[in-house]
Amino acid sequence: MTVTSTPGSNLWFSVWKLLRLRGVIFISGFRRSRLRNKIGMVVVGVVLLAILVAAFVFSLLILNTLRSPQLTQIVSDPDSLLDSIPVLIVTIAFIIIFITSFGLLLQALYLAGDMDFLLSSPLPMRAVFLSKQMQAILPNYALVMLVGLPVLFGLGISQGYNFLYYPLVILVLTLMAFTAAGLASLVVMVVVRIFPARRVAEVLGFFVATISILCSQSGRLANFDDISGEQATQALNQLGRINSPFSPLAWAGGSLSAIGQRNWLPGVGLLAITIGLCVVIFLLSLNTAERLYFSGWASVHTSTRRSRKTRVQHSKPPNRSLLATSVKRLLPAQVQAILIKDLLVLRRDLRNMSQIVTPLIFGIVYAIMLVRSGGEPPPGRGEAPAVFMEVLSNLMLYANVGISLFVGWSLLSRLAGMSFSLEGKQYWLLKTAPVSSLRLVAGKYLVAYFPTLILCWTFLLITSLLQRVSLDTLAYSLVVVALSVAGVAGLNLAFGVIGANFEWEDPRRISQGTLGCLGALASAFCMLICLLFFFGPPILFDLLDFPTSIGRLIGIVLGSTASLCLAIIPLWLVRKRIPRLAE
Amino acid sequence: MTNIPKTNLIQTQDLVKRFGEKMAVDQVTFQVAAGEIFGFLGPNGAGKTTTIKMIVGLLQPTSGSVEVAGFDLQEQPLQAKAICGYLPDTPNLYPKLSAIELLRFVGDLYEINHEQIERRSQELLRLFELTDAANDPIDTYSHGMQQKTALASALIHDPQVLVMDEPTVGLDPRSARLIKDILRQLAERGAAIFLSTHILEIAERMCDRIGIINDGQLIAVGTMQELRTIGKGETSLEDIFLNLTGGTEYAEIAEVLK
Repeated sequence: MTVTSTPGSNLWFSVWKLLRLRGVIFISGFRRSRLRNKIGMVVVGVVLLAILVAAFVFSLLILNTLRSPQLTQIVSDPDSLLDSIPVLIVTIAFIIIFITSFGLLLQALYLAGDMDFLLSSPLPMRAVFLSKQMQAILPNYALVMLVGLPVLFGLGISQGYNFLYYPLVILVLTLMAFTAAGLASLVVMVVVRIFPARRVAEVLGFFVATISILCSQSGRLANFDDISGEQATQALNQLGRINSPFSPLAWAGGSLSAIGQRNWLPGVGLLAITIGLCVVIFLLSLNTAERLYFSGWASVHTSTRRSRKTRVQHSKPPNRSLLATSVKRLLPAQVQAILIKDLLVLRRDLRNMSQIVTPLIFGIVYAIMLVRSGGEPPPGRGEAPAVFMEVLSNLMLYANVGISLFVGWSLLSRLAGMSFSLEGKQYWLLKTAPVSSLRLVAGKYLVAYFPTLILCWTFLLITSLLQRVSLDTLAYSLVVVALSVAGVAGLNLAFGVIGANFEWEDPRRISQGTLGCLGALASAFCMLICLLFFFGPPILFDLLDFPTSIGRLIGIVLGSTASLCLAIIPLWLVRKRIPRLAE
Repeated sequence: MTNIPKTNLIQTQDLVKRFGEKMAVDQVTFQVAAGEIFGFLGPNGAGKTTTIKMIVGLLQPTSGSVEVAGFDLQEQPLQAKAICGYLPDTPNLYPKLSAIELLRFVGDLYEINHEQIERRSQELLRLFELTDAANDPIDTYSHGMQQKTALASALIHDPQVLVMDEPTVGLDPRSARLIKDILRQLAERGAAIFLSTHILEIAERMCDRIGIINDGQLIAVGTMQELRTIGKGETSLEDIFLNLTGGTEYAEIAEVLK
């Protein structure tokens, strides 16, 4: 064989080859996906395009409104506010790209598993790193462009900026993306040196999920109606503070405003500094990251084994938790084993915890809203019939039960609905063991039931104490919650058996598809039916001026029967599937 | 060596597994007696793992039967599984549990009392040189350590029947030797060992009898002596295997690549 040229000698051609490979993988994945997935992806594309157009129009309108005389009264210095918009967008873009690039580069460099293959192939190392950087940058860059570009272009049009402003917006955002990704790659190297990459990814996923949900729900707690004009002015004027003369990000944003306004000297000067800084930071980061990776510096993370060694040598008998000790005498060893194992795995794998924390946040938000309302129904315009208001008032008495059950329902959908799927590829251990289907189901049922019950009761106790609910109502509510959760756990578990999926790598990607949604909807519906049985009789007895205690007794009998049916019948229907799971 | 009555601990009868149109295992019948090490050989995709999965109850046969220590796996699965230990080809273990926690979990599944679990766990961890890492999460283990942990979990209940799929893959020579010694000891104590392997040297030196499967069909079963007769006078297991499974044509490919 005659070798005409060294393969991979052209850096950019190699980068192109690697990026094209990604493209081929994506297209091939799209082609092989189901029709509904294809339609879904096309719809997402169209929606993103629509968002782009809508954001452009919306930002144009908003920015035009900033010039209105009414707003001038609120905003003391509208020019300064408008000048700080590019700085704000550039800063946000930089932070978002930095954080997301960190996660993506961690995945691409340490968890994807293709680095050894790529680095051993005749490609320049820089090409591999550049292609990995591009993989990290491109999705976030597209997202930032989707949100930032319409605002900045809208600003340009509304302010009549110079035509040079528009291409420079794209240039500055691109520079920010590369700089952020370059710095992120360095941070990845340092972090991976200290902690195992997989653990870092888990922690990151947990925090991102928690913060995302917290951010999405925090709006519910804000009292926008109570915001005064003065507070609004203060809030808007705070934006100007981001335009600090010492911030390199402000220089980048400031250069855009200045060039747009034809202030050539400061504009071009700031732009030159921005370009120079970005190029230097990116090249330095890239070079350093390559060296750190290739020298193996980043891979040699500090081992914790030495410190654990001593602990193991003095290993104590099994460390049974309080829960384990209390259930030890009641449950067969196999059920206990499954219960303890699942709770340990759930607690230790932050990827599971990030899913479980969602209902917790929802619960806290709704509990705060309920406590804030004082447990009273909204008065409306006073036109509602008295009977209706009385029923509503009685219902509000049990609203905390509703919130507790809502939290429990969200948690059950995950714990029970995915209990079998969570076993994943380790299911062979259970399947080859002499464990009967009944005990297996009992173990899985309790794994879902105990944590949900504890969570529901905790919420119920806290909200009841804050609302000063009477002791008898609290006792009744505790029983209702315990029985309702018991019923719904059975139903969710049955759906979990039908939709069990053991082929996954990341627990966040256990997709139950339509079956998962159906299970959640069915359990919500059945929970409402149960509540109707539990609360119907006492509310009716209250309306008819009969003793509430008898109403509650009837409610308990009817509700517990419904819950019992709900816990047993669905599992009985799927009993034959259990021995055949994972085949 | 003590004389152990040769009762069959594993017995398959006309075992068939069909995946849609594909016949993965076709009418496979064999026995493994107590105290015997049975090697199961075959090319990639021949049906070895499918057969093993049916023996340990991971897959339901399309037809035919599997008996473990006289218990029909379809009729009395719990009794059959209780005396069987299994080591899969890929040791998928709970990554967030430590080795000691895994052994306690498996011990509880087999309903061994806690004192015994503790004693056996410490013994096995020491035997496989896992004591230092016993409290570390399994996802920090190397492949070899995971393989040894899986083997420890298969041995925790002192099984009468041990089924192993490629037990020495990923192990260093020392650990591989240790496994061979353990298997020999177990067999001497009367356990039936069923192992699939691609390493013909292991099969030739360790196994009392060997079964060769190709395209889902068991094409040869017997001692090395019996296989030599079937293999038209070939003396090494490699030659017999290639002769029976039609692998001799690869020699021509190797010739071209020279």
